[in-house]
Order: sequence, then C-alpha cells, then structure tokens
Amino acid sequence: MIEREDVLRMARLARLELSEEEIELYLRDLNNFLASGRKLQRVDVSGIEGTSHAVAVNQVLRSDVVGESLPREAVLEAGPDVVDGYFKVPRIVEGQE
Amino acid sequence: MRQLAQLLKAGEISSQELVQRCLEQISKTDGEINAFITVDEQGALEQAAQSDERRAKGQTLSPWDGIPVAIKDNISTLGLRTTCGSRFLRNYRPVYDATVVERLQGAGLPILGKTNLDEFAMGSSTEYSAFGVTKNPYDTSRVAGGSSGGSAAAVAAGQAPWALGTDTGGSIRQPASFCGVVGLKPTYGRVSRYGVVALAPSLDQVGPMARTVEDAAILFSLIAGADPRDATSTGSPPFALPRWDPEVVRGLRVGVPEEFFSSGLHAEVEGAVRRALRRLEEQGAVLQPISLAGNEYAIDTYLTLVTAEASSCLARFDGVRYGERVPAADSNTMFAKSRGAGFGPEVKRRIMLGTYVLSASHYEAYYEQAQRVRTLIKLEVARAFEQVDVLITPTTPSTAFRIGEKRNPLEMYLSDLYTATANLSGVCALSLPCGWDSQGLPIGLQIMGNHFQEELVFQVARVVEASVERGAKGAV
Repeated sequence: MIEREDVLRMARLARLELSEEEIELYLRDLNNFLASGRKLQRVDVSGIEGTSHAVAVNQVLRSDVVGESLPREAVLEAGPDVVDGYFKVPRIVEGQE
Repeated sequence: MRQLAQLLKAGEISSQELVQRCLEQISKTDGEINAFITVDEQGALEQAAQSDERRAKGQTLSPWDGIPVAIKDNISTLGLRTTCGSRFLRNYRPVYDATVVERLQGAGLPILGKTNLDEFAMGSSTEYSAFGVTKNPYDTSRVAGGSSGGSAAAVAAGQAPWALGTDTGGSIRQPASFCGVVGLKPTYGRVSRYGVVALAPSLDQVGPMARTVEDAAILFSLIAGADPRDATSTGSPPFALPRWDPEVVRGLRVGVPEEFFSSGLHAEVEGAVRRALRRLEEQGAVLQPISLAGNEYAIDTYLTLVTAEASSCLARFDGVRYGERVPAADSNTMFAKSRGAGFGPEVKRRIMLGTYVLSASHYEAYYEQAQRVRTLIKLEVARAFEQVDVLITPTTPSTAFRIGEKRNPLEMYLSDLYTATANLSGVCALSLPCGWDSQGLPIGLQIMGNHFQEELVFQVARVVEASVERGAKGAV
C-alpha cells in the first residue's frame, strides 16, 4: 500500500510540483498500478536475464573524429534565460548571492 | 503515389499545386478534425517551388520529389515549432532536423506541418494533447486513436498523402487501425531515432503512415537504414521497394495466436480478421494456431518499462535550456514549478509511476522483474517465428471509441493489448484496414514479422489489401 508520504517523496525525487488534487489522484493511481506490478511478480523468471534492448547491440564504436557541433547562438536562443553566452538559473547552493 | 509521381513527371501537376490542394483540404476540414498543431503553409509552398524548379531542370532528388508529407510533432524539424503536444514546449523551435526529416527532405518531400499527438506520445487517443483532441474523420464524435492520431487522421481526411508517426506500444498501428490507414512499426533499430523526442528509448520507433500498403512501403524506403547518430540503428540494412508478388502467400506459414482472439475482442473485429485469414488460406497460405501466452503480461510489462524510461527521459525538461520556465528563488523550486505547470496529467502520472518503479527500494521488484518478463516474451516470439513466417492478429480489441469514453487510465492502456508485444520483442508489425464494422468504422488487421522482415510483411499486407472490399462509407 502506498501512502501519501510516498507520493510526496516521489514528487520530490521527480522535481514535480503537485496540487492537493493531484496528490490524491496519483495516490490512487499508484495503488492501482501496484496491482498490475504484482501480477508480474507471480511470473517465474529464475535464471532469466533482463532485456534492456529489443535487438542486441554490441559495443558500437566510431572513429574519434572531430565533427561539427550545433551553432552556439542558435542553441542558446531556445533558453528561457540567457546571459553572456550561458544559461542562467536561480540560486543552487545556500548562502550569499 | 505512383500515380502522383507520374503526373508530376508528365508535368500534368506541379508540386505547388499538390501542396496547395493539401492546404485547401486542411483549411476546409481541420477546424473540425484538429489533426495539425502547426501548418507550415509558407515553408511547404517554398519547398514545393524548389521541387518544381528541380524538376524543370531535370534534377529531381527521387521519383517522389514534390509529394508533400506531414510529420508527427515529436520529431524535430529545424526552425519549425515542435511541441510534442505539450505546454512545456509550446514555443520550442528545434535547432536541428531529425535524421528521418533530413532523409525526407533529401528525397524532395515538402513538409506540410506537424501533427497532433498525446503529450510526449503518452496515450492512445490524442485526448492527452495540450492542443485539443484529434477527431476521427470517419466519425467526429470518436477519437482518431493515438498517440499518432494527428498523422492518421491527416492521411485519412486527405489532408496529407502520407505522414510519419512514432510507435512505442502501438502508437502508429492503433490510430492507423481506427482511421482506416496503413501504418508500420519497423523493427527496432531499422529507423534512426536521432532527433525524435524520446518516450521510451528501448521501445520507440519511427514509421510510415499512408493510404495504401505500397505508399507505406515507399515512405519506409525513404527513412530506413543505419545512421551513425543513433547507435541502435547501426546494424540496420536500408529498404528497397520490392517487386510485388502475390504468390508470396502460397505455402506461407501464418501463425494465429489464440490469445489475441480471446475475451474483450469485439465480435465484428474478430469476424473481419477471420474473414481476411480465410481469404489468405484460399490463396494458399497455411494457417497455424499458435500460443503467445506471454501476451497476458505484455501490458503490465510495457507499462512498467515505459513509465520507468519516460520518467528518466523527461528529466531533461527542467526549464533551463529550452521550454517554459516558471521563475522561483532557487533552482530546485524552479524545476518543480516549471515541470508542474508544463506537464499534463498523463505525463505526470507516468513520471510518478516511473519514479516509483525506479526508486531504490522498488527497483528489483518492479523494474528488473519487468525486464526479465520482457525476456520471456521476447523468447516466446522468437520461438513462434521458428514455426511460422508471419503472425496475424487484430490490431486493436475494438474500433474507434468515443471521445471521453475511457476515463480510467488502466482501461486506456488496454487499447495497446495486441500491439505492445511487437515493441517489447523488437519485431516489425503493420496494421492495415481489413473491413468496416456496422457503424462504418474501419477495422485493423496486424501482421507481425520477425526482425528485419519488413519486406515479407509488406508483401503479405499487399495481398490482404487486394482481397478486402473497400468500405461503403468514406472518411469526411
């Protein structure tokens, strides 16, 4: 059973601000989903390795050649706040500005 | 498409006229259908003018040069708004083209615009788009399916001759089925995902949607093949349009997995698919009942993996480098507020579920378990293809449902019941119309082929297509 505390913790981990209504909604959805997850747990998978890709891909190597990068100006243009060629973000660490 | 190509070649129609006709059809019908998020009228006409110029000089880039195409709005187009159906990206203009877009432009195809989808391709009805629901051209009180509902509806409504979609659990095949068009989910790795906004990278593929099997095959031939910018595509061969051979079904071993004809399947859908199977048998195919018992777990496995991968992929939407930012005093609050305001309900639901199954205390019980069940499903599909050449099933349990009908998310996930297995196992699968129900809605039939067997799948699809009588009721 998932509790309200778990929902708040997931939201914090996912950096997702939720309204009170959404917290209630996802509390219910997560619990419904657990039933589906438990169904999988009944399957015997002993000795079976997990699949992370549908078609096996071995180490893909390429020669170490310098290619063309995206134009810096164009990339920066998409940023919500850009100063002196950098993406600007609000304070990250506590302390003086 | 051959006909259009010939008209272009003979100079009886120009690319500009073709684009103009599509734009007229869009302006006439899209107020109701809502297949497009962005129509690039000016860009499409410019590209068409360039195509006509190339043709006049005898410098066409391909036989299809000048035939316009629509692109699902989670595929990056340089300078052309790419929203993924999300508020978060409502003003985002990519700074590069996806490889598939580059390839279509390299073949001379003008891009009409970007089609609607469930937000970040999460959904089966386009009802989760921040830009409104796409309506089914056969019955506008019903959904077009999803997540590539915009592409399917645009093709069905005659707004675009063909379109690109993406498919993670059925997102090309289910809307193709609902809208009576042909759609292919290629073998995993056959088409480059570079520039396609990821939902679940171990399952996602780009594929063609068109009105006929041959058109889908032509469009596929333009996008398939290895791309150094997508490491999962590097072993993939290109695809050349085959010489059509109806004899291909003589002696063909067709697997009919009984689990795909079980309870929950609508009688009219089953009837149409069984009739198509009988016609194949009459033409010399050998039907073979087969068991894919693992399909019982396909949706639960899919759901666990897709939410896990999605929650991880969507971490990049943080309001720093692109998208909408909600200002706050510190970065963590800014991330949480931007994501809270930018994402819709289904995206948040999947992020929450995915974060849960990936969290340290639940990782083994849920995520790893699902990866291992995936292996069982994959092994079972591999064994099936040792016994048969193709598998044939219904594409979806029902025809298009009503807008607003599926309120419960778990119920919505069930519309991928027959399609998710192909993504989990990486095989190719195509949906084509095989009949119409009593309400005039298209019914889809799915043909699954082993890895890289697209040519066989197209050949068989073409035979099925030829044996299906066209529906009494057309779209719009």
